[in-house]
Amino acid sequence: MAEVLHRFDPPWIEVGRVYRRICFLRSEGLAREARRVEANEFAEAAARARGLAASEPEADSLLRGLMAEEEERVAGAIAFAEVLVPLLARRLSAHAPAPFPHAASPEPGTAAAGRAGGTRDVADFIDEMLAQERLASR
Amino acid sequence: MTTATIEKPPAATAQPLAVSFPPPARTGPAKSASLLIGLDLGTNKSCVLAGPPGSTDITVSKVLPSVVGYVRDGIVDGIITGNARILYGEDALRQMLHVELVAPLAEGVISRPEAARDFMLHIRQLADPSGRADIRAVVGVPANAGEPARDGIRRSAQGIFSRILLIPEPFLAALGYRDDSRVKQPGYVDPVVNSLFVDIGGGTSDLCLVQGYFPTRDDQISIPFAGDAIDELLFGELGRTYPNNGLSRITVREIKEAHSYVGPSRKPLDIKVVIGGKSRTLELGDTIGSACNTLIDRIYPALTALIATASSDSVVTLLQNIIITGGGSQIRGIDTVLQKRLADDGYESPKVRLAGQDFQRYVAIGALKAARAARENQWQVLLE
Repeated sequence: MAEVLHRFDPPWIEVGRVYRRICFLRSEGLAREARRVEANEFAEAAARARGLAASEPEADSLLRGLMAEEEERVAGAIAFAEVLVPLLARRLSAHAPAPFPHAASPEPGTAAAGRAGGTRDVADFIDEMLAQERLASR
Repeated sequence: MTTATIEKPPAATAQPLAVSFPPPARTGPAKSASLLIGLDLGTNKSCVLAGPPGSTDITVSKVLPSVVGYVRDGIVDGIITGNARILYGEDALRQMLHVELVAPLAEGVISRPEAARDFMLHIRQLADPSGRADIRAVVGVPANAGEPARDGIRRSAQGIFSRILLIPEPFLAALGYRDDSRVKQPGYVDPVVNSLFVDIGGGTSDLCLVQGYFPTRDDQISIPFAGDAIDELLFGELGRTYPNNGLSRITVREIKEAHSYVGPSRKPLDIKVVIGGKSRTLELGDTIGSACNTLIDRIYPALTALIATASSDSVVTLLQNIIITGGGSQIRGIDTVLQKRLADDGYESPKVRLAGQDFQRYVAIGALKAARAARENQWQVLLE
């Protein structure tokens, strides 16, 4: 019961918020940025929150539970978006004007493949920039 | 290390300016052509490049002063060509006696929204005289520009460009500087893979670590000290050394652009000026050197701060690829002074070089490259 109540303390909410960001960064392939946030903001937030717990085991348990919850939440949000966004795009594109003369969009995942493969195109960099902007606006 | 962030007071708005998914159906006549613009909106000078999508052609390439001139009331017909009411760039400066000159930007961000909008209309007209093309623009923004600054650009472009993408200027400079024909050549160091760009403009000096991924906030530093700040220092010092000299800020800037240097004093530096109709020779060696060296003192800590964040595996190569671009790259000796300072401080074989004669265009070149590469879902629609 005490654990459940502690989950709503602001320091633990902050831990959850930062870890959610880490999960999104990892899902976007931004591992370096995710590690940086983990080493800095997450470590600081977790240290502050752990100070509230009655004991180390309670703090560990809270942290584990919170991290598992956020991982599931982010995975669910991504899965939901993967289903919803194409649906919305199909409906909206029915009303869109003729496409701008441009190269076809690549298949999903090629940005990550590009990163892994070495030579990256400019659109991959733009993807990273937009991912950073989305995270910053949350 | 602190990160200077460019901000302007937030504008009250009830509606979002841009959305990033397919737009609703449009009514009205279809546009006859499509055009891409790469735009470096500088505090003192802007550069616009334009070309059709799916091509490497550049149909417009222009560097122009970032200034709008509103013709004063009562000017006799025929004084202004075409009796225009608004002038831009060099035309505005040439007619400065007959117009109110307004600079749309200050310290890299829009400070006069109406003038910025007029300037954007002029940019559009330069790129597309027919006025019928559907235009998308990639616009450079200062490193770590805040959302109010970005919103200012979006507002100024509403109804002028159909889509927009805002990208930090130093990254665009790296992209523009990259020689795409040599990217796969062995031995070619792609500036987008491992370099440190120092873009010294009029309003800001932006430094950016570019190492094969899009730079994060921590990889970029924007310092609100650049060409304009040097002008102010010079103007003030001239006023103290030669009181009542009557030299305008424009003249002081011209003196700076012709004679700027950093490093040890270069005296005597005798400069001929016209004051009160009479030719005078002013010795300005220490005055100019002191003002310009202040820039080095502001840039150097930011430079070393970014170098410190590079991984040990990459830093030696990085130190060989420090590139200075923007108007500040024209300050004599800036590359050698920074290089020497790094070497004296123990950095391993640093090499600082100048971007070269295209220094005014690299951001716009990078912006046009980005416009040509951007995927459909990356563009932001500007809601009218």
